[in-house]
Amino acid sequence: MKDGIAAPGAADPAPLKHDASAGVAPAAALDGVSFTYPGGARPALRRVSFELAAGEMVGVMGATGAGKSTLAKCLNRIVPEFEGGAFAGAVRIGGRRLDGARVCEVAARVGMVFQDFEAQLFSTNVAHEVAFAMEQIGMERAEMARRIRPALEAVGLGGFEHRDPTLLSGGEKQRLAIASVLALRPAVIVLDEPTTDLDPEGKAEIFALIGRLREQGISLVVIEHEAEVLRGADRLLLVREGEIIAEGAPHDLMTRLELLEECGVHPPDLNRVLAALGIAAHAASVDEAEALIRRALPRLGAPPHPLDTPTGPAAQAAAPCGAAAWSTDPAAGAQPLAEMRAVSFNYPGGPLVLDSIDLRIAPGEFVAIIGQNGSGKTTLAKHLVGLLRPATGAVMLNGRDRSAMRPAETAAEAGYVFQNPDHQIFAATVEDEVAFGPRNFNLAPGEIERRCAEALRAVGLENAGGRDPFLLGKGERQRLAVASVLALRPRLLILDEPATGLDYREQRRMMALVAELNRGGIAIVMITHTPWLVAEYASRVVLMRRGRKLYDGGVREFFARDELLASSSFRPPEATELARRFGTVALGPDELAAWLRARA
Amino acid sequence: MPIFLYIERATFIHRLHPTVKVFALFVMFWSVYWVDHPLALLPLAAVMAAAAQITGAWPNFYRLRWLFILVVFFTTLAWMVFYRQGPALINLPLIHLSRASLLFGLGRGLKLAELLATSVLFLSTTKVEEFTAGLARLGVPYRVGFAITLSFRLVPLFIDSALTVVQAQNLRGYDFNRGGPLERVRRYVPVVIPVFMGALRKANSMAMALEARGFGMSRQPTSFIDYPVEAGDLAATAALFALGAVYFIIYYTGYGAISPG
Amino acid sequence: MRELGAMWRNTRMVVLCAISAALYAAVLVPFKVVPLIPGVTELRPANAIPIVCSFLFGPAAAWGAAIGNMIGDFFGGVGPGDIFGFFANLFYGYIPYKAWNVIAQGQSPVARSPGAVASYVAVCLAASVLCADIVGWGDNLLSFRPFSILGNIIVFNNMASALVLSPLILIAVYPRVRRGRMLYADVMPEFKERPWSVRAAGLLLLVAGEAGAWLMGNLVSTGYWAPSFLSAAMTQAPYDKAIAIVVSPFILLAVVGVGLM
Repeated sequence: MKDGIAAPGAADPAPLKHDASAGVAPAAALDGVSFTYPGGARPALRRVSFELAAGEMVGVMGATGAGKSTLAKCLNRIVPEFEGGAFAGAVRIGGRRLDGARVCEVAARVGMVFQDFEAQLFSTNVAHEVAFAMEQIGMERAEMARRIRPALEAVGLGGFEHRDPTLLSGGEKQRLAIASVLALRPAVIVLDEPTTDLDPEGKAEIFALIGRLREQGISLVVIEHEAEVLRGADRLLLVREGEIIAEGAPHDLMTRLELLEECGVHPPDLNRVLAALGIAAHAASVDEAEALIRRALPRLGAPPHPLDTPTGPAAQAAAPCGAAAWSTDPAAGAQPLAEMRAVSFNYPGGPLVLDSIDLRIAPGEFVAIIGQNGSGKTTLAKHLVGLLRPATGAVMLNGRDRSAMRPAETAAEAGYVFQNPDHQIFAATVEDEVAFGPRNFNLAPGEIERRCAEALRAVGLENAGGRDPFLLGKGERQRLAVASVLALRPRLLILDEPATGLDYREQRRMMALVAELNRGGIAIVMITHTPWLVAEYASRVVLMRRGRKLYDGGVREFFARDELLASSSFRPPEATELARRFGTVALGPDELAAWLRARA
Repeated sequence: MPIFLYIERATFIHRLHPTVKVFALFVMFWSVYWVDHPLALLPLAAVMAAAAQITGAWPNFYRLRWLFILVVFFTTLAWMVFYRQGPALINLPLIHLSRASLLFGLGRGLKLAELLATSVLFLSTTKVEEFTAGLARLGVPYRVGFAITLSFRLVPLFIDSALTVVQAQNLRGYDFNRGGPLERVRRYVPVVIPVFMGALRKANSMAMALEARGFGMSRQPTSFIDYPVEAGDLAATAALFALGAVYFIIYYTGYGAISPG
Repeated sequence: MRELGAMWRNTRMVVLCAISAALYAAVLVPFKVVPLIPGVTELRPANAIPIVCSFLFGPAAAWGAAIGNMIGDFFGGVGPGDIFGFFANLFYGYIPYKAWNVIAQGQSPVARSPGAVASYVAVCLAASVLCADIVGWGDNLLSFRPFSILGNIIVFNNMASALVLSPLILIAVYPRVRRGRMLYADVMPEFKERPWSVRAAGLLLLVAGEAGAWLMGNLVSTGYWAPSFLSAAMTQAPYDKAIAIVVSPFILLAVVGVGLM
């Protein structure tokens, strides 16, 4: 066969048929694969071998740049066919070697879903999007029509046929991408960080879907850097510097916390609590963790009656286990740094996006703004810096009406770091990027230099001043974006999803930076979807729903109120969930472990 | 504000076969081409007004009202400079204002406005995939049509990203409206570069996702969307032929011309 | 010119084409104008994009410019003149990298030597003038507006963006794209150019043709020169027949030249 997939023995007349013969041979296998990208200094993969059994789900974990994606891309020939570069070793799908095959020829056997859902939708209508891949391989119209509905129903998008893909939510877009892959009925589906850019609901949708795909017997490879979500996998691979350094069942690998952290993987909360208590076991769920702890620490007493716990007196009684107590109105008393007075906002002709919001932010606070997509979080934050103007009501910065302030005055009060650092980076060097703001405000050259140095030091980029910002990693670019806003010396810093798209190590680094700035006296407003960031870093939570403030108060109190969590579909971090079983509120695994130890 | 003009309705004009719609574009151009006199162009304007009424496209005309006004005004003015025929009504520097030049200029302005109106109607009633399907019928290769569809899909994405960049740079004190015209063009740099680099980051992932979906397997992939030819399409085609013929007759009999005297 | 066809076989080039087009249109639509004389002429920062893309993505940028211009027209309304606009922009995106490869082969377009700067200005001028020639010629053939209006405004507009904005974007983007191995030479390594002498001859034909077309178009459409071999009726406004007879051969010559490059 000239172009097709090289089959051992006789040529297969239909190499793209759904492969039912995978029962004997592994669904996919890599044999001693090494690969170096064109111009790459070192190999991205070094003699990697692994097998994916039919119907198996394998999770691949590792830091950014460890080689996870490269490994996955070998399975459908993107590596090396599309990427170029030096490749050695063999890849087999359903027992047949892929040597020399083109990427498109593997499409029907190995489906691949990428992180960036915007970059994998090509059509103007949902049904057509699902048909796209089938059209490419030349399927008859009648057959396509037969396959579209089941594919959409499988991902929970039945009835969406005529919708415009651009108007779907992130989770829906990603499910649509999966449907378009499913329609080809591949034996193997590879999902490369499919939930990184999604909100908690979208994430939950995708993992529920992954569960259903497993039931259908599809072999899955899922790449992630949060271990928690891979607990249901049959097997996990831990990748570092192009090698599989550990491999095993979740209960085996997830108890090796140090190794996970070393590899830039977020270790599961439950395992961290157990380890801190000296319990050498794995918990696959909060229930299991609770049982293990109660068995190991019998003096803790019986679990509280479920009806006692949710709210009201029980929640009040639930003593906070950390040092800091919450206060219901932290901004009371002090002159607020920023204040919104009965602010409402709507786009011309549209419904209210903000509905008479009152909000006071005191100097030095750390406020997390949470809520589902479209709840008004970002709209609220944009009012604080004057990107949007209230339809009614007023925004005050340090006691002055914002609408009467010049941009330079606003910038000295409040800075805004956008979610994607690439939306602002343009300069040739890191230093120029940071100096851009101060220059626009016509500061003296000496002052600009001072501020740049200060801002770069604050974010740990003091030695990168001369580098090209586009060559920095994602985490460094995010910190550069913070520095370029810090150079304007705002007293209030607004961060939109500061940790999204970063691996665990970079997330920690980013948040340590934000916490440090906060300790230095800068008030922080953080828009986020990530529960553990709220629990571990914020001191106050503002919960938004449909343009209204549903909750504004302490973090502990927030996590103690189950009805709030349920109504906002905000799942607390597992450590917090586990703590609730013991009648307390803990904001992190270490805190919970300490509290449990003290009582055992 | 929506970027594109398409208006979702189920009128018979919306439902016409894409090839018929492309043919309608051609017939309008043909008809406009043969006549010069503003009066001869009015019946066409009436046809278009009727179509706008049926398709509910008036909001789009309102949105582009200044474009229509400017096109008519400046085209009329331009031809008064170049079309120096007929006795001048008033003596003006540079401009030759005569009955003939006024009629000629106004005719040209109306022609351009009518072509603009045709396209507004076309775009109000035609989806991108119908347009590319129409092109495919006319022999445009699949991949070219695909690139067109993909470009249409990317435009709003890039505009969004450009608007975000504008906000981000504004907050860092950047003023886009400072300086003279050339300086103002230069001030686009901090917007264009992030948008450009963001697009490039996407390029590789998109090409990869395409191939992973089988793009490249077949030179002429099958098409899921089917556009059957219906009775209305045949009727519309006949009406368009008639319109084109009428305008050719107007030209041939000389009624559409402007006499220089 | 073969790469204009060959590029469609390469998925990355198809995507880069769509990206060039969408970038052009995305800057064209929301940031359309810095008005110079309101309503008559404006600076369009978007015109910098095809030049930048040409140096980066070669043939993909040529198609990208043509499609991007079409999308921009779709936003504001299309006319028959846009068929000419399509090809004018195709050349506007095609000529820069091709002409650069003839006169400055192997040099980086962001080099700052006097020779490189002069070459840069020259290739931008070559691209801008042919683009203007084709639109002005087409517009006058259809007798919508005289050649001398669009034929000059477009040269000015394109050159303003190409000289003021494009270099700043190129300096920022070119080295990064090269590092990312997304330059057309990296994406289509198999493509081989014709012998230098043939391409140089092509460039000479292009320059002769476009300069002649521009000169003749201006002379004839302003009534400044009434060729004696034309009938008296032809040398009066709207000059469409005179333009057809006098300017078309030069346009043809330029296009043949581009074909050889």
